[in-house]
Amino acid sequence: MDPVQTEIMKNRFSAMAEEAATLAYRTAHTTFVKQTQDFQVAVADLDGYFFAYPMQTGVVTGSGQTIAGLLKHFCAEQLQPGDVLISNDPFRTEGVVTHMMDIHMARPIFVDGRLACFAWSFIHASDIGGAVPGSISPDLYECFQEGLRIRPKKLVEAGRLNQDIVDILHDNSRIGEAIWGDLEAMMAAMRLLDRRINELCEKVGRAGFEQGVADVMAYAEMKARRAISGLTDGQYSFADRIEGDQNGADIEFRCRLIIRGDEAEIDYDGSSPQVRAAFNFTTGDRTHPFLCLALTHYIHTVEPDIPVNGGIMRPIRARAPRGSVMNATFPAAMGNRFVAVMRSYDTLMGCLNQAVPGGIVACGAGQAGIISYAWSPSGDGRQRVAVVEPFSGGSGGRVRGDGVDASDTMIAVLKSAPVEHVESEMPLVVRRHDLVAGSFGHGRFRGGASVAIELENRAPEAAITVRGLDRFRCRPWGVAGGTPGGNSLAEIDAPGQASRTVGRIKVLHLRAGDVLRMRSSSGGGFGDPFEREPDRVLRDVLDELLSREEAETIYGVKIDGDRVDAAATRQLRAAR
Amino acid sequence: MLRIGIDIGGTFTDFAVWKDDGDGYAQIESRKIPTSRPNFAEAVKRGIDEIVAELGYSDQAPLTVVHSTTVSTNAVIERSQPPVGLITTEGFRDILGLARLRLDKPVDLFNRRARPLVPRQNVFAVGGRILADGTEDRPLDEDGLRGALRTMLDRGLAGAAICFVNAYRYQQHEVRALEIARGEFPRLEVMASHEVWPQQAEYERAVLTLLNVYVKPLMQDYLHEIDGFLRSRYPEARLYLTKSNGGIMSVDEARRLPIHTLLSGPAAGVTAAQVLAEHVGIDHVLTFDMGGTSVDVSLVESGRPTTAGQAEVGDFPLMMPVTAVEAMGAGGGSVIGLDDRVLKVGPRSVGSSPGPACYGLGSDEPALSDAYFLLGYLPGDGLLGGRLSLDRDLAVRALQPLCERLGLDSVQVAESAVAVATSEMLAKITPFLARLGVSAGDLTMMIFGGAGGIHGPLLAEEVGIRRIVVPRIPSVFCAFGGLVSDMMHDAVRSVHGQRLGTDELVVGFAALAEEGRRWLAAQKVTELAAVRHVYLADMRYAAQSFTISVDVSAPQAGAMSVAAAEAAFHDQHQRLFDYCDREAPVSIDALRVRTIGPRARPAAGMLAERVGAAVPVGERDIRLNGAWRRVAVWDWPDLGTGWRCDGPAIVQQAIATILVPDGFRARVDGLGNLEMERR
Repeated sequence: MDPVQTEIMKNRFSAMAEEAATLAYRTAHTTFVKQTQDFQVAVADLDGYFFAYPMQTGVVTGSGQTIAGLLKHFCAEQLQPGDVLISNDPFRTEGVVTHMMDIHMARPIFVDGRLACFAWSFIHASDIGGAVPGSISPDLYECFQEGLRIRPKKLVEAGRLNQDIVDILHDNSRIGEAIWGDLEAMMAAMRLLDRRINELCEKVGRAGFEQGVADVMAYAEMKARRAISGLTDGQYSFADRIEGDQNGADIEFRCRLIIRGDEAEIDYDGSSPQVRAAFNFTTGDRTHPFLCLALTHYIHTVEPDIPVNGGIMRPIRARAPRGSVMNATFPAAMGNRFVAVMRSYDTLMGCLNQAVPGGIVACGAGQAGIISYAWSPSGDGRQRVAVVEPFSGGSGGRVRGDGVDASDTMIAVLKSAPVEHVESEMPLVVRRHDLVAGSFGHGRFRGGASVAIELENRAPEAAITVRGLDRFRCRPWGVAGGTPGGNSLAEIDAPGQASRTVGRIKVLHLRAGDVLRMRSSSGGGFGDPFEREPDRVLRDVLDELLSREEAETIYGVKIDGDRVDAAATRQLRAAR
Repeated sequence: MLRIGIDIGGTFTDFAVWKDDGDGYAQIESRKIPTSRPNFAEAVKRGIDEIVAELGYSDQAPLTVVHSTTVSTNAVIERSQPPVGLITTEGFRDILGLARLRLDKPVDLFNRRARPLVPRQNVFAVGGRILADGTEDRPLDEDGLRGALRTMLDRGLAGAAICFVNAYRYQQHEVRALEIARGEFPRLEVMASHEVWPQQAEYERAVLTLLNVYVKPLMQDYLHEIDGFLRSRYPEARLYLTKSNGGIMSVDEARRLPIHTLLSGPAAGVTAAQVLAEHVGIDHVLTFDMGGTSVDVSLVESGRPTTAGQAEVGDFPLMMPVTAVEAMGAGGGSVIGLDDRVLKVGPRSVGSSPGPACYGLGSDEPALSDAYFLLGYLPGDGLLGGRLSLDRDLAVRALQPLCERLGLDSVQVAESAVAVATSEMLAKITPFLARLGVSAGDLTMMIFGGAGGIHGPLLAEEVGIRRIVVPRIPSVFCAFGGLVSDMMHDAVRSVHGQRLGTDELVVGFAALAEEGRRWLAAQKVTELAAVRHVYLADMRYAAQSFTISVDVSAPQAGAMSVAAAEAAFHDQHQRLFDYCDREAPVSIDALRVRTIGPRARPAAGMLAERVGAAVPVGERDIRLNGAWRRVAVWDWPDLGTGWRCDGPAIVQQAIATILVPDGFRARVDGLGNLEMERR
């Protein structure tokens, strides 16, 4: 690594990646891309690893991805300047594509007629055809129900657009034109990257560019190795699950982590086979970032300014058995894969807690609920569908502090909408959106609290769906003596009737006056509650998140008025 | 009339003085006085006295003082004020704790939300509910409210904010709650959200209301001191405060709504840049204001500062129209260090005290300014007009550990550090420009503040900016901004979910314009020219949830319509995002009116060309692109209009040093500004 040029090239790569992602965001068409930023643009080296990846715009967790599974379908001689490759096929790209709604593209970048690297992009298409609008439903069980699938192809060959592909896309999505607008925005961003790479090579020479790529990736690798070296050598295993439906068995996640010096090996042997529901994802034979998120997040946490590129993956090997829920094979359905990704994260975190002396973080709420509401604004049967709020739950307690209330950190990019916006937009009254007292896992550092939401329907007829829910039976685990977090709960109050528990919601049909009451799962505690600083217990009591009795029985802290009774607390804590 | 603009900085309190209506920009005078801590008012008072006395004005003469203060900003960032409480709607007690749920760094396992300004124990959820259409679903629980107010008093809270759900439009419960609070609990300082900024979004509105209540007593004391001083010494004086939106307000308004001062300092600098750009004839300006820890940048496009609907102060969102200013890492005090074997600049800063090692004030950590010094960019014989001499040995010694680790000499390390810092700025400014859809080649960089004269030109060179302007009074430019700012009021009405016809649109706008006129009348300004209104609508495609602010001001009265507003929205969407869909349904979420009361401004006041050639005060070796170059050093005060010089060269002032890069030609323009253009 050149001590000066490494940092300069890192910044240059960052500048071009951020610029391209910003351009893509500005020019994309669909609401979904605008709203959720579920897209990205980056530059990969000839092996398919990213060396320039944005962190301010788009999906920021994918820098460890390789696009080799897409590139392998084209030998170097087949590629020409002006080509654009396309695919949304998870099976043929071996997990470059993780579900079919994601359309990936790559553009070979030539410098002086020689292949130098690849610009890459993906967007989540809000509809790629299939059985339901939006293409995603948990109940879909094979890929054919989830829409159109395009194997790796050239969308553009030497600057000439393959109109056949465009037409097929157009005819098979419910919003073909808008999707094409998004793809054009991504292609414009990739053209910009092509220009920027060529300008850079003019400035620093091809050798300087190649050295820069090698240096920034070596720099990330060095930091990743430094972080992994801090873990204790050994072999660790952990298991967790996603709850099955009424008749279905739970989906088991088993993870094994081996730390050897500055390298890590992860495998998911023994996990459940893929399921006939849209919970699967696929990862192929290469080390896939979805299988190592807990570890790469750990590396980012202890090395916060690690350059964002594929170098972070070099000391990591990860695999899941073919045919398992996290490496599903044709024709598995994958639309609603996020809870499975979350649970893979949780199981690996369970291993990491053993590899870090003393542990790091307890389990979070472990769900990523998205509440959608459908109603007929004019009463003529024509439906409108809108997202009400995201709904997750507290994160786990951590070695350095309490968990985050109401948001599991892994999906904490989700932003809530103002209640005032929701009530102006749809015939709902939000009766409550607040924390639930006493709902968290207890510990030296407590878990993040459950969040409650109560929605009163004011339309004559309406339907609510919530995808991404879990943890109605299994509680998020605590660590190092911390107690588990709480379960999820959903109930309906209909006027004049007793409350009815509805469990994991698929679709709920509501009449005017019906109230849906949901309480989320919450984070597990970290460490022994008897070691919690009494002042923290006091604050939770004064904040009315914990009762005085709980303070005494669970934490051994006696609260007298608005202060800690130190002597009584010492006694309580010694008596255990 | 004598007019004085005042801006308090970390090291100096700056004064810009417009002596006489006949004077122009080129005759504006500047003065700097060391900032007085902790009593900031001392330096302000001293400065005013000195200026009035030296210029020979009578104490009885009319005097206008426009003041930018960071007293409120610092209080919010440091959370230094006594605790306050919040009253909100039942079911929403965690409105502050939940914020908008989102955390900013998804890859950080220790990620957390900022601690709310008010802990849950001091948030009181009171019964009563108004729905989105204004119907009262449940009456206000007045006894519950009284209980909450009593508890707040018992707990010794200094003030309370009231923010009820849907009160942005239907205010009856907040109005009643204020009646009760002010009537029965007069000792408690209380404000309701609709009084502060009635925009939809309950969390952000609650925070605004809280921040206003939080800084109010402090600002009242501070303004009382300054205003009391002026009243007793200068009976004809009027005091105004700069606002975050780039305008100014009367001192009475600032006492009631100090929230408007939170980002006023940087905003005044951008207003100054806008005014100077008009004089010089520049369309698109990138401002570059470099301090000890960071660089503030902003954009003036087609003569208009960019306005954002939301910004941040400390840990808190500030949902109101403000001049958009973005901070980038790296300032003169940014620390040079190593991560393993990789050279880094920042993000840590040595701060203004002790400052860089070469200042000799006790720091042995190398900072970016040490690098400037070793490369010959800063004069060894003194900054601040000779008051601070720099020590080369200290700079070399501070860099020594890095030299040993890297096997380079101190000059090589210094040069590398400057290159790294430039690349860091490049990484920040590139997406900033991309977001606004402008290209660097169309921009003129305007440099002000103390430290920007060296790194501004280096960055301009790197990103391809071809023209640079350094105002003739760069170090008091924000104070000058106050002198040239207009009275400015923003009014908002959220109409989300209402079906607006042209009649409702016109009536809604008229009401907001009337609010603006009433506001202006209350500011008691004497010298206003014709009042202007800018009509804006926050609009979106119905299927989206974020809005853009569209200027729907009609060229002639009576031409305003929903159809015209929608057409303007499509046009703007096309401009911003290269795309629009004229068939798609459009929603109007809010109406806004900006009311501008233009004040007298200095004309350009062209300077005559100075006869006789200036001579350099000396020569200096500076390091550029890996080689030493012997360049001329010019003293700016010696340089008259018409002076020209090819870079590389150095131009010095008492406060600032300016690097003219190789390939640029510098000249002093007709207003006394230093301009540089790529050859």
